[in-house]
Amino acid sequence: MPEVSVTPESFEMVFYDSAVIGEVVAEVAERLGIDEAISLEIDEQSPLGRSKITSYDPIELWVDGGALENTQRPRQFGKARSRDTIGRLLIRIMDRRSGRFDDAPADEDLDLNQFAAWDAHCVGRLERLGIGGQQKRRQYQFRNRHGFTDVADAAFTQLWDSSELSWTEIERISEECRTS
Amino acid sequence: MTDTKRPREPFAPWDRRSLPGLFDVEETAERIGHYKWVEMKLFEALGGWVATVPELDVKLRLGTHCYHHAWHADLFDKRLPELREMKTERLTVPANDQLVAFFEAMTEPEDATMTIEKLVGVYRVLIPHKIAAYTYHRNATSEITDMPTVRILDFILQDEFNDWREGEMLIQSMIETEAEVERAMNHQLKLEKLMLAAGGIAGPGSIGDPYVEMPEEN
Amino acid sequence: MRKIFPAEELARDARFIRQTNEQRLSDPRGTRVAGGNASEQLAKLTPGLANGPDRARALMHGIFVGEIQALEGAGRTCWDFEVGEDVPFELKLDMARQCWDEARHCEISVSLADHMGTELGEFAENGLLYEAACNPDPVLRLTGVNRALEGLAIDVFNTMKEFGNLAGDPVLEFCEDWMLADEVTHVKMGSDWLRRLTENDKERLEKALEFQKVVDRLFSFNGFRGEDDDSPIQLTRRFRELAGFSDDEIDEIADMSREARAEAPS
Repeated sequence: MPEVSVTPESFEMVFYDSAVIGEVVAEVAERLGIDEAISLEIDEQSPLGRSKITSYDPIELWVDGGALENTQRPRQFGKARSRDTIGRLLIRIMDRRSGRFDDAPADEDLDLNQFAAWDAHCVGRLERLGIGGQQKRRQYQFRNRHGFTDVADAAFTQLWDSSELSWTEIERISEECRTS
Repeated sequence: MTDTKRPREPFAPWDRRSLPGLFDVEETAERIGHYKWVEMKLFEALGGWVATVPELDVKLRLGTHCYHHAWHADLFDKRLPELREMKTERLTVPANDQLVAFFEAMTEPEDATMTIEKLVGVYRVLIPHKIAAYTYHRNATSEITDMPTVRILDFILQDEFNDWREGEMLIQSMIETEAEVERAMNHQLKLEKLMLAAGGIAGPGSIGDPYVEMPEEN
Repeated sequence: MRKIFPAEELARDARFIRQTNEQRLSDPRGTRVAGGNASEQLAKLTPGLANGPDRARALMHGIFVGEIQALEGAGRTCWDFEVGEDVPFELKLDMARQCWDEARHCEISVSLADHMGTELGEFAENGLLYEAACNPDPVLRLTGVNRALEGLAIDVFNTMKEFGNLAGDPVLEFCEDWMLADEVTHVKMGSDWLRRLTENDKERLEKALEFQKVVDRLFSFNGFRGEDDDSPIQLTRRFRELAGFSDDEIDEIADMSREARAEAPS
């Protein structure tokens, strides 16, 4: 199991347990084949669902408290949601390290369309691994960025179903929707 | 060219409507007042039950059917002044005390676990009795002098048949055990007895009298 | 069946989880609104926001449970009051009509939620809307529900319609436009009944308008609904006018939102 450090260790605004969070992160990392130390920083003040990778090596992640929240029970920890959030971040790290993403812009330079396309590819793979899912949610996000068209839907299916696309391929699929 | 001077019968050969009907104006107004009272009690109950049923499909159907019966009550209300009853609330009354007892029993179930009873009361007891009484009235009244009532009843019966079918299907979809079959039947039995005592939604004679007096033996 | 059915007993299946007002108000992170949070920097809800689609998804779920409660509230108004003693027959007919409309809105918002990838019960439900529909005075109930809450629905639906238009989502835009038409009708019902039932009772009129303000304030959520460019939900003047609101009344709601916003924790 990878070693996971969670900051803060205790929470004032939400009913989270850093040990439980650490276990979920380690479980997801193990299923993805990541066996190295991970540090996770949580901003418990924000119920929004933002998340980002602050360092690819060593692995350092940052999330809003809301990204780990049970949407049915506000302020409570949500395992399924957390798996989805952490899984997306870790699989992006794996993509970047694969060599297939060497020509991808830095995270902060990606636009909403590029993020939506990459997310579709990430979450499709996670679902097949039994981590996360919500295909229709991701499709809706993708349609908002790429259009409510048959072309965009076919592109989404391709991104979702593919196993290991390169950044160039993701970019081409996304671009084709926008020009169609 | 059409010969515009060639005489035609006022009733086409296929129009076999006849003048006589079983109800005079006063009796028609009374029956329609009873119908309006029943429709009001029904739409109020359906509306009230919406909050008490957890099954989402049932909740939405009750909300939809609530309006159907309110519309029926409105149609009957508008018909009453045409039957010389200007104070419509005067005739908006139950046929008898037994019918009031029926409605009290029908609307008694409230608990979230009692959706079957709520549906059975409406769709297996009340609506079949409404369909019977409206059909009798529609077929027994004069199709010429009282055509406005016939037209109203035709619209209403169409709703009643559709709602009855939807309600019956909901009941069938909710009954999954023998115990639930018994619950449904017991509740139906209880309400049918009360309806029998009332004599139907318009009281005794709601669907006419099919029996004949035995002639004296020669 | 009882008269006045308590909000905490509203019947739901196992998918739905109710958040109490105490839980909602005690969240130190601020009130959740429109799929976002009242304490975050406000921004009009558009697809251009990074979390725009997700916020719209959450808002659609909020609309859905709001429609269920609106249906339940209208239904209870059919049952809770007696014709003649409490309310006119025609008022009940309007409420029954509203039941049908709200049932259709539930069907529409369930379908839209599915279209947006939201599962039923995915988000917590709070019973605030239905609570406003429990007022024992039918005039206050109608004013609180049909003018305050259905008025808010006008603003929400118009914002969502614009969201659909901007996103190029024909399904969302089409459905919201239809629901918007119904809401204008419901608000107009509220305006008409308020006028008719308080024609000779100034005190009751004032009480009803005061109750409307209380409900409006409750749903101001730190000013998230307003006329500023960055208000997540935009106050819709044109449709409110169609529904019987005077300019002064609309100004007052806009002012209330501005005040709520100024008082919100930064």
